[in-house]
Amino acid sequence: MRDVSLTGKALSPGGTGKVMIELEGVEKWFGDFQALKGIDLQVGFRETVVVCGPSGSGKSTLIRCINRLEEHDRGRIVVDGTVVSDDLRDIQEVRRETGMVFQSFNLFPHLTILDNVTLAPIQVRHRPRKEAERLAMELLERVQIPDQANKYPGQLSGGQQQRAAIARALAMEPKVMLFDEPTSALDPEMIKEVLDVMEELAESGMTMICVTHEMGFARHVADRVVFMAEGGIVEVNTPEALFNDPKEDRTKLFLSQIL
Amino acid sequence: MSAPTATPGPDTVATPPQRRTTPTRWLRRNLFSSPANALLTLITGPLLLWAIVAFGRFLFVTGRWDIIEVNLTNFMVGGFPRDQLARLWIAMAIMTIAVTVGAGVTSATAAEAAVAAGRDPSVTLRERVQRAGPPLVLLLVLVVFVRTPLPVALLAGVLLLGVVGFRLGRGIPPRWRGRTYLAAVLAIIVALIAISAFGGVPRDAWGGFLLTLYYTVGALLLSFPIGVALALGRRSSLPVVRAGCSIFIEFFRGSPLIALLFVGWLILPFFLPVGFPTPDLVTRALIIFVLFTSAYVAEIVRGGLQAIPRGQREAAQALGLSPWKQTRLVILPQALRSVIPALVGQAISLYKDTTLVLIIGQIELLAVAQNVTQQEAFIGQGYIVETLVFVSLIYWVGSYWMSRESQRLETRLGVGTR
Repeated sequence: MRDVSLTGKALSPGGTGKVMIELEGVEKWFGDFQALKGIDLQVGFRETVVVCGPSGSGKSTLIRCINRLEEHDRGRIVVDGTVVSDDLRDIQEVRRETGMVFQSFNLFPHLTILDNVTLAPIQVRHRPRKEAERLAMELLERVQIPDQANKYPGQLSGGQQQRAAIARALAMEPKVMLFDEPTSALDPEMIKEVLDVMEELAESGMTMICVTHEMGFARHVADRVVFMAEGGIVEVNTPEALFNDPKEDRTKLFLSQIL
Repeated sequence: MSAPTATPGPDTVATPPQRRTTPTRWLRRNLFSSPANALLTLITGPLLLWAIVAFGRFLFVTGRWDIIEVNLTNFMVGGFPRDQLARLWIAMAIMTIAVTVGAGVTSATAAEAAVAAGRDPSVTLRERVQRAGPPLVLLLVLVVFVRTPLPVALLAGVLLLGVVGFRLGRGIPPRWRGRTYLAAVLAIIVALIAISAFGGVPRDAWGGFLLTLYYTVGALLLSFPIGVALALGRRSSLPVVRAGCSIFIEFFRGSPLIALLFVGWLILPFFLPVGFPTPDLVTRALIIFVLFTSAYVAEIVRGGLQAIPRGQREAAQALGLSPWKQTRLVILPQALRSVIPALVGQAISLYKDTTLVLIIGQIELLAVAQNVTQQEAFIGQGYIVETLVFVSLIYWVGSYWMSRESQRLETRLGVGTR
């Protein structure tokens, strides 16, 4: 049920019109290396944005700045009205509303899957254990691994681990989900099960930013695709427009190499 | 068509090939596999045999164990007033209950974890004997040397309490299990009160194995939290905290323990504020052990912290956990788990290092072994061999038991963690 008016106009929120995430002239330096060179981007409420581009183009850095895993040096980032700044309380506020899924899953190996999922709701949202466990089981059913609840991450396959990681992020009932190459560490036959979960999530109306190389997913699920190169946004458009009729040479080159 | 008997048909279950080995084959494979190994066997075999026979002769024929028999109480408690021994038995009973309740809780948790993982939770008799073996051997040796029936009866009572405590621990419902460590701390305090309060025995009168245990357990329990705090402090983002922790750690790791004990003995009293009561020598030595050990614990834990992948911290951050909860719930449990072997190594080393207090005039176990040979009945007759063998057994049992338990802990915690 995507109530999306696809304008195809660059930088306009593609969802319901309300802006969820706003980046304005965001710059990030690692020493002398500039990783982000003035990023301007708005992501609409309920919009799914796929970020793609060659490695080293700053895709991961971009979404890691949104929940302050990386500190941006210039510019402004606003998530659902909260400005991401040095203030720890603002950072915690943003992180509570933002779920993140990592390339290497980063499940907590010393906790069972159920405890992985309930940890943050109990410790951050102060939910009673019973309620948190009920919600966790619902989420595990949603990602189709309820039978793995009492196992440890090491006992699961990569695809199952990534789905558990998605359930863990969803347990905080976030308004935004960030995916940092969620399928890059998976064996080919497990990629689909993770993408299916992500697609279902997008259809349910979650606001999502996905860094991914899965062009099929981008074409099929994304409202807009952002193409990045050398720390800047080269082109933003609907998947149809971007893949079928890229405007920039850099985009054409990239697409010719991966498609 | 290849040999039809070689491939199992659909109805037969494939079994791994059986390896049969005869004694001759075993000998050839393990002892005479090459000329060099054969030579080694021919040299070390007789040597080993001779050592076993000589030691066995010493143990059962030539050894004069009367010195142990006469001085057993000295070995156990040193100069502890004999009319106050009841206090020690009470303390021992309290500690036994605390330890066995804890063991019961651990065993119940382990059994449940085994069931959850689909393994058989039952513990075989063989495993039980292997675990309890070393302490039981020591207990047996001690009982052999006891001359009066009362201590044996009391010991039996304590053992019985231990069994009751274990059963009790197993029956504690899961939601109260987290509290058992509080009970253990409480038990230690109560036990200490039972010994020294109400006109009891000051610590300077303690001795023998009692003193050894006090230093070991006390220094371990106190240095662990301090060490963890120092390790975290050394990785702090605040330069002042980082520098302070680094200086502390490097100072205590860079000083010989003996020198530090001398400091505690002779110099520490001068640094205390005027009017501040000087703690007794045992407490001063304990403080030195705590500071020294915590510096080593800090470095061990720091190693564990460094081994945790950065993604773990990031995942905890992304979930919105506060910095302290990221550390306490995600980073520390993994870091400590991975350094159990090194921590137990430190514990064993501390257990043996407590012998060093003999140079500041404390009569702990090793000092007793030396002192009793100076008694009129035994002086100048080389009894030191017997007493040293006896205390060696006590040190060995403690160290071996700790190392075995650490191995068990590793395998148990290792299940499904990676």
